[in-house]
Amino acid sequence: MFNDTVINEINEIRAKYPDRKSALLPALYVAQREFGWLSQEAMESVAHALNLPAAFVRGTASFYSMFKHKPVGRNVIQLCTNVSCMILGAEKLVDFLKTKYGVEPNATSEDGRFSLVIMECIGACGTAPAMLVNTDFHENLTEKSLEKILDKYK
Amino acid sequence: MITITINDKEITLDQPMSVLEASRQAGIKIPTLCNHEILKPYGGCRLCVVEVERMPRLQNSCTLIAADGMVVKTESDVISEVRRGILEFLLINHPLDCPYCDKAGECELQDLVNKYGATAGRYKEEKRKVPESRKDQIFARNMERCVACTRCVRMCHDVQGSSSIAMIGRGGHTRMEPFTAESFNCEYCGNCLTVCPVGAILSRLNMHSFRPWQVDKEVETVCSYCGVGCSLIAQVRDDSIKRVIPKLGLGVNKGLLCSRGRFGYEYIGSEERLKTPLVKKDGELVQSTWSEALGIVADKLTEISKVNSGSSIAGIASSRCSNEDNYVFQKFMRMACGTNNIDSVSRTGFAAAQKYFEDLLGQGITGNMVDGLKHSETILVLGGDPTNVNPVLGLSIRQAARDGANIVVIGNAGGLEKFKTVQVVPHVFEEAEVLESLLLAVSKEKGVRGERPFVDKELRVLADRAPKTDVEGFEEAKKALLESGSTSIVMGMDLVQRTDGHRLLFTVAGLTYLLEARLYLLCERPNEQGLIDAGCVPEMLPGGRPINISDFRAKFEAEWNGTLPENDGLTILEMIEGARNHTIKAMYVMGENPAFNLPDSQSVKDALSGLDFLVVQDIFLTETAEMADVVLPALGWTEKAGTYTNLERRIQLQKKVVEQTGGMEDWRIIAELSNKMGYAMNYSETEDIMREIARVSPLYRDLSYNEIAQGNCLWPYHGEPLRGEVNEVPGMHDVDKEYNADFYLAVEKPLFHSGTLSRRSEALMKIYPEPLLKVGGSTAAKIGLQDGDRVQFTTSSGTIEALVAIDDSIKDNRVYYSNNFRSGGVFSVMKFNIDKVTNAPGIEGCEVRIKKL
Repeated sequence: MFNDTVINEINEIRAKYPDRKSALLPALYVAQREFGWLSQEAMESVAHALNLPAAFVRGTASFYSMFKHKPVGRNVIQLCTNVSCMILGAEKLVDFLKTKYGVEPNATSEDGRFSLVIMECIGACGTAPAMLVNTDFHENLTEKSLEKILDKYK
Repeated sequence: MITITINDKEITLDQPMSVLEASRQAGIKIPTLCNHEILKPYGGCRLCVVEVERMPRLQNSCTLIAADGMVVKTESDVISEVRRGILEFLLINHPLDCPYCDKAGECELQDLVNKYGATAGRYKEEKRKVPESRKDQIFARNMERCVACTRCVRMCHDVQGSSSIAMIGRGGHTRMEPFTAESFNCEYCGNCLTVCPVGAILSRLNMHSFRPWQVDKEVETVCSYCGVGCSLIAQVRDDSIKRVIPKLGLGVNKGLLCSRGRFGYEYIGSEERLKTPLVKKDGELVQSTWSEALGIVADKLTEISKVNSGSSIAGIASSRCSNEDNYVFQKFMRMACGTNNIDSVSRTGFAAAQKYFEDLLGQGITGNMVDGLKHSETILVLGGDPTNVNPVLGLSIRQAARDGANIVVIGNAGGLEKFKTVQVVPHVFEEAEVLESLLLAVSKEKGVRGERPFVDKELRVLADRAPKTDVEGFEEAKKALLESGSTSIVMGMDLVQRTDGHRLLFTVAGLTYLLEARLYLLCERPNEQGLIDAGCVPEMLPGGRPINISDFRAKFEAEWNGTLPENDGLTILEMIEGARNHTIKAMYVMGENPAFNLPDSQSVKDALSGLDFLVVQDIFLTETAEMADVVLPALGWTEKAGTYTNLERRIQLQKKVVEQTGGMEDWRIIAELSNKMGYAMNYSETEDIMREIARVSPLYRDLSYNEIAQGNCLWPYHGEPLRGEVNEVPGMHDVDKEYNADFYLAVEKPLFHSGTLSRRSEALMKIYPEPLLKVGGSTAAKIGLQDGDRVQFTTSSGTIEALVAIDDSIKDNRVYYSNNFRSGGVFSVMKFNIDKVTNAPGIEGCEVRIKKL
């Protein structure tokens, strides 16, 4: 369950909306931050804090792919392999990530450093291939630039 | 007035409604998958599309409000084509395993595909593969068959209020799941089964053992568990009940059921049922014959009544037996045995409260329609959790909450935790002070009405006391009550089982009187009201006529051909006391288990063992029956006809559904005995008894089975209830005691169990297999307990070992343990003192020490 500081944060979020259901998505982000991913305990904590049924919380959370529905590494790479990125070599980058960092799509590297999620278009077709690492945006990727970028994420 | 034309038929509507509802009203069927009569319109499946003149596209009839002059067509080639298309989409992922699926024959998808086609799909992709989940003991969840109509989820959330399931995932992978995706861990009402149009959620009871079209008969009857008296349909094959379902719109429950009603029927076919009379020989109960057993009972009772007088015999009636059984029982005790010592376990709750309220406010004061609850502006809930004791009544409170009513809860809220708007948690056992202050505050605003001298007098006494208003929520509760235009009070029996019970009852009576509120008493057994009406109380004849008034006695003596004993009889606790000090020599127990169901059950057992003669008439060998000299096997629910009177005083027919086990109807056993003892009773069927009741009881005057069968029979039928202060009500006693112990033991009333009957229902035992010690969050934190810890808890009279369950709705330092399981009930370690006014046992203040093992 959440500590008092987090409860207060959620109460503040709740106060912004007329209906407590509206506070659910922002509260789930808080839970994700606190627990690392939306575990059962994380969702139960949100349900408790907002006085909503736990099943309802899980139903809403499960609709959205931005939430982490299983444990992830310290850094999450969201790499696009849609048309433009694919043509410009994104699939090679997937192989590179596997050989260099030992991380496969929808999985986490053994050292827990990276998780890889394959995305369907992140709106950067003009500067493909592109990816997000956590919340940072990176474009015009090559194997070389990828290596350099990932160096910053321990 | 709105007039619309549907399929060339002109329909006039007296209130606004959707085109779908208008069609239903006119008997025109429009297919639906997401829409259901019990649920709100959803507009998800699009099967209910219709053509409306001057509207460009097909319209969803479920969400389209009928407007004056609308011209609607519900079937056409275009509509059929669209419906066929929708069904084809639904079948992309449907496994078409109808030959194996239990739903086949009553599956809405099957019927629709049969009508509109699309039997062969054009899609070549692989179907979605999801193995059927049997992780729950009661429900099988098959998500390949699910059409994602969300009826189950909406039922669970919008009607039941359990909110245990949700639609999980997105797109083609959307599926219904409980929170943990494993066991449902819910209220197990099974109302999702009622609405599921396909075989996506199925009951695992009797799974794959019958088809809907293989049901030999369907009988409409009344549930045997609690005082709400839900109507249900028992489906029978090969003389055994295969399934219990509700019927839309029927009875008090209107299509809803609870776990006990829906899944608790199995006890009736239990292997443990008594089949032959048993007689104690050399200290052992051995099988006997009816003639031997009845002979022994008749001889022994005759002997004791001659040698020691009738007043040394006592009878315990049953709130699980019918009005007819109970009527014959009290007549037998009074006329054949010559005693008014007739009472029931109901004295420890409902009967005691009932008497107090009726003495004070007039007969019938607690008779209010369950359906009316949901129209209240404010509902005051105290003394128990309605959603556990009377689950379907609890749903009305939850509905009122959704509609914006104030739900004021005094004490722990239980199943109303998410629905309460105001909660007052008095310091443990200080409810009287807080309620008296509340009553006083209300009376200051409302003034004294001057119609009930006793209430007005006591209110003046209260005015001199120092009010206790410093409890959180007090002001909000007061405001909610004073501002409410229509108030209901729902009272549970926890406030009756108190040595200061009469004080608590007085405050409730006072609030009822001042606020002109509707008063509802929670009623744990199906026929507690009927039992009182039938005269199974020591001081009243049938119809609630006081026995000490000679005119009433004379009238009954003329009807019954004999002489009635004049004095009030003993209450049940006095009978037990009588057995202990040997003034009671013989006891006749019909369908009750006092050795388990009365507080301080160990000492009750000791008292009963001192009797010269104990007869128990039951369907199981209960703890009490094990001690008996003669055990007579009775027939149970669905094996016999009769009537029950529910908590709103609705008289309902119970019908015979299955053949007999070898037992006899309770009334027939008694009548045979009575004849043997020289007091003639000539009834050949239950209707004969009802005819007699309708003649002698002013509350059931002129009532016939024919009229009851048509429904809506509430008493007083053609007769007159007694009004006003029937008996003088004794004044208040102060009970000065400090309650400073760490923890107190209280009785859990589980949703999944009822008395000792449910322990023979396999399904209910699977849901709640062993008693748990329920503790609140703060109690758990204090001792460092977690869910599933094993503990030992000790009171002054005993120790019990159990697993712990943490229940966050418990806000005070009470811990709860049930009195249902064979392994031991909480009553075995609870002592009591009697409330001198209500004669109910006060079991409060039971200090308990908890040790983690």
